[in-house]
Amino acid sequence: MNKSMFWRLGAVLLVFGLLGAACGSDDGDSSATTAAPAPAATEAPADPEPEPETQEDVTLRVLVHQNPPMVEFMEAFNESFEASHPHITIDLSVVEAGDLSIATQTRLSAGDIDVVGIFGFSNAAQAYMSGAVPPNWQTLIEAGLLMDITGQPFVDNYDEATIADAGSFEGKVYSINLGRVSYSGMFVNKDLLAANGLDVPTTWGELVTACEVVKAAGNECMTVGGADGWPVFVGAYGLLGAMYPDQEALVEGLWTGDITWDNDQSVEMFRRMQIYTSDMLEAGVTGLSHDAGPPRYAAGDVAFMPTGVWQAPALESAEPDFDWTYVPFPGSDNAEDNQYLFGKYDQGWAIAADTPHPEAALAYLEAFSAPDNYQAFANAVGFIPTQPTAVLDTHLGREVAPFLANYRVGFEQYWVAPAGAGQWANGSHAAAWFDPFNEWTDHVALAAQAQADLQAGLDAN
Amino acid sequence: MKIVTRDYLFARGWKSAAPLLLLLPGFGLYLLIAVGPSLATAVYSFTDATGIRGIAINWLGFENYDEFLFRGNASRDNIAALQRTLIFCFFVTTIQFCLGLLLAVLLNNRLRGRTIFRTIFFMPVILGVAIQGLIWKLFLLPRGGPVAEVFSWIGWSSEFLGGQPRQAFAWVIVVQIWANVGITMVIFLAGMQTIPESLYEAARIDGASGWQLFRNVTWPLLTPAVNTNFLLNIVGSLQAWQLFLVLIGYRPGTQVLGYLVFAEGFGQTSGSVVSAFRQGYAAAASIALFMLVLIIALAANAFVSRREKKYLS
Repeated sequence: MNKSMFWRLGAVLLVFGLLGAACGSDDGDSSATTAAPAPAATEAPADPEPEPETQEDVTLRVLVHQNPPMVEFMEAFNESFEASHPHITIDLSVVEAGDLSIATQTRLSAGDIDVVGIFGFSNAAQAYMSGAVPPNWQTLIEAGLLMDITGQPFVDNYDEATIADAGSFEGKVYSINLGRVSYSGMFVNKDLLAANGLDVPTTWGELVTACEVVKAAGNECMTVGGADGWPVFVGAYGLLGAMYPDQEALVEGLWTGDITWDNDQSVEMFRRMQIYTSDMLEAGVTGLSHDAGPPRYAAGDVAFMPTGVWQAPALESAEPDFDWTYVPFPGSDNAEDNQYLFGKYDQGWAIAADTPHPEAALAYLEAFSAPDNYQAFANAVGFIPTQPTAVLDTHLGREVAPFLANYRVGFEQYWVAPAGAGQWANGSHAAAWFDPFNEWTDHVALAAQAQADLQAGLDAN
Repeated sequence: MKIVTRDYLFARGWKSAAPLLLLLPGFGLYLLIAVGPSLATAVYSFTDATGIRGIAINWLGFENYDEFLFRGNASRDNIAALQRTLIFCFFVTTIQFCLGLLLAVLLNNRLRGRTIFRTIFFMPVILGVAIQGLIWKLFLLPRGGPVAEVFSWIGWSSEFLGGQPRQAFAWVIVVQIWANVGITMVIFLAGMQTIPESLYEAARIDGASGWQLFRNVTWPLLTPAVNTNFLLNIVGSLQAWQLFLVLIGYRPGTQVLGYLVFAEGFGQTSGSVVSAFRQGYAAAASIALFMLVLIIALAANAFVSRREKKYLS
């Protein structure tokens, strides 16, 4: 009896041991979130070159962030890639944009990913930024987790400035960036403006007047996906840009003390941000998500939607007959200052340095970078192309073409907060801190608080 | 006839080690899953760890703690988050405890359909935090949401979760209570069902009123359930942060300490901007949270132990 019990005990321990071993094993093909089977994309991607059939079967794990038109395109591209590379199966994981960095870090560290979607390199610590912590992408490179893709033939498909600005570190290339976006403009409802006898506003004064007129006629001035928080201040990036057109200099000035959030120019900017938040935005946007913004705007009774160009495909999809244009946010009283579009380098590709399938990963990027495929991608997603041979041959492309010569990288891509700075130190977010989104109702007081919080960080380092 | 008792089974010689061997797998798992990471967190709190494989980890001493508590205006925000955590704990514990007790008392009676009501009140407990959050995000839509509609009947309006930080914070308290009051109720119900009916009958014969029955029979004999709920509610609410993530996101004026740990450890995000992963610093914040939980839990434990002695000894 007792001996039998000990045999059983031994068996239990053995089972635990086996369970532990099973949990520890990893075939390298697992994935947290696998996308649904591929539907057709708006445009069929080009077929990459077929490969010999004798190669070993591999599963290529690819991570991207959620962006509906991009994910739809990726699913169609993957299907096409798998057809032309029968030995490769694509395991696509899709995560929310806000979770991309966490998923990237953990899966790269765990050796659980081969190809990662990565935003354009930005926010590098500059020499004048005392005590600034390096951005995450830099840490990933320094940790040796991203493959050096310098000299790969497909890199040459992209323009040199993009490779240098958005994908390189210390002279080596780690990412190919797939497109620029502008976040500082606004969509304009041409029909509604025409119905109210208004032209597209080119100055702050004209914008204020236009809002008054459309509201008096029973319509709304602006909408934005306020429930997600960030679309509120991103919607006001054009205002920031109109007041401070050299955004790199603005960041340096804030760090060195040459510019402050409470100087006259900044206080005026805060005042206009408050008008934008409290008067121009329609009631109830605190509960409107970013993805719900385009369908709401396409309803036709709102004059403007300040947001990034990436929402153009969703807007067209929501109401194909909606007549819109996209112009820089007219934040300045001087129309000349309102000619700039600010933005960032968006989605790019990088390869995990320790991928067990480097050839397949490189083949994937090569196929994606083929000019025909890239053109289809740019058309589907609405990015401003980073391949010199591609053109944005869409409604959006035609609308923003007059402003592309004045495209500039925006504040968000330069800003790094000093360690110890308070939560109000990044004044570019001020639009999201006014009532009804937060507690502030006095722009002068908020400007002073922003500067105090910034100064506290500067003094602490 | 020979009677084999449980004591006899493991009592002699080397066989006495059997209970320890039986405990070994569970203890090993506990060490691996609970103690190990906790100790590692304490060690990491003195370093500049990023959590990224391949990056050297440097020893910083108390620098992370110094930054968390004293550097610049960020320390002001950290202290505010700590205060907010305590406020959240106070309201959640108090309201959830009282509401759970009230529901248990009501549903311990022979009401028609009480099983259905018990199920309804317990149902949120089995949902994940993400689902709980999404349900309430829809309920609380300021434009066309059902709660906004009800408010409009009486002339109220609110921005709910996207509005003023205090208002959003209050709604998270509501959701946290809704999500967890079911488990509080069930623990109270279980406690009430262990109280012998004969005690109530005796008290009724002595002429006790309903309130006196509760005050002098139910409440004292419910002591183990009261103590369990009290401690669970305190510790659970001090550690809660996931609902803040799902319902509000990272917004000034709403963070609790647990969310601060997450945001610092995995990069605060705003659009596509990701700050550095400061897991050493986050570990220091985590230890601060642990100390807070420990102090409050010890005080609460001392209180409930005294209460247990008073009523049950």
